[in-house]
Amino acid sequence: MTEQINTLINACGEMEENLVLFHYGDLRGDERNEVQAHLKNCATCTAYLKHLNTLLPLTRQVDEPPPEFWTHYNRELREKLDSVAEKKSWRQSFVDFFQPRWVPVLAMAAVFTLALTFTFGKGMWSNNDPAKEDVAIMELMPVAENLDFFASMDVLDDLDLLESMGSQGNAA
Amino acid sequence: MTRGDEDLVASARQGDRRAFEELVDRHERRAYHIAFDFTRNREDAKDLSQEAFLKAFTNLKNFDGRSSFYTWFYRIIVNLCLDYKRRQKRAPADTFDERVENQVEPSHEPEKTRSPDQDVMARQISRAIGAALETLPARQRTAFVLKNHQGLSIKEIAELMETAEGTVKVHLHRAVTALRERLAEFA
Repeated sequence: MTEQINTLINACGEMEENLVLFHYGDLRGDERNEVQAHLKNCATCTAYLKHLNTLLPLTRQVDEPPPEFWTHYNRELREKLDSVAEKKSWRQSFVDFFQPRWVPVLAMAAVFTLALTFTFGKGMWSNNDPAKEDVAIMELMPVAENLDFFASMDVLDDLDLLESMGSQGNAA
Repeated sequence: MTRGDEDLVASARQGDRRAFEELVDRHERRAYHIAFDFTRNREDAKDLSQEAFLKAFTNLKNFDGRSSFYTWFYRIIVNLCLDYKRRQKRAPADTFDERVENQVEPSHEPEKTRSPDQDVMARQISRAIGAALETLPARQRTAFVLKNHQGLSIKEIAELMETAEGTVKVHLHRAVTALRERLAEFA
């Protein structure tokens, strides 16, 4: 094998890559002209190109399955596509539900519901709240305790009235 | 009038299943052959090419049209084939014999100019070429298969491999050099 490798014809170093492209017809314009001109004067590169022309087509291997293979292929692929399409539609409807356009709508609905709850639900729960009742009683207790004081204040008002009436009578 | 790929893609994106099936009919053979070039196994080539169509169908909405459908789709196949090769390398050694048994002997490209001697050589080289291709690094093998077997232009291969044209040329040259050395006995 080593001997065989050693007998391989090698092209001029700088030409080798372009000779591969030349073989495949991938060189255009100046590069193509340059290679063609070089080949006219270089036996080694000509032999290298000839070697490529012999070897590379042999590496092209084509598998041509029988017609029934393609019938089976198509039927199987369509079944797989049906299955994928079904999964896709389920997933799509789920994803569609959470599309960005639904987010503001859902947010608006949530805000509206909260607003309704605070507006119309306020009176419904306040009467049943024992804590609030306790607070009201606590607020009234000192007032009740001071009722006597307020009553005495009324008496003082009356005394002031009598006193002023008395002073008016003396003056007369 | 035959509709172009882009037209069919646009319809398929709108949910037209028939349009996608037309794309399948149009590309299935080439897709299969690319997969076969990588796997050299009929069953695996069938599975990989079908998987590529399913992947294209699922991801059609992500196809932005910056490249042609054909480039986008063949990129999917090539990536699947390279994944397949990576998985194969990681597979336990005892499954190798089974893989070889499942491989079919591909026929060489029919050429009217081929002599009987060349036909004999072609049969011998058939086994050797498989082994030689196996030894190529993934990028070299991809460039070589797409150029030598599929006849794509350097520009198309570069787009497909998402690399520069110069890089493709280097990969191709290295692949050819390696194959020449490994297949020297057939020279």
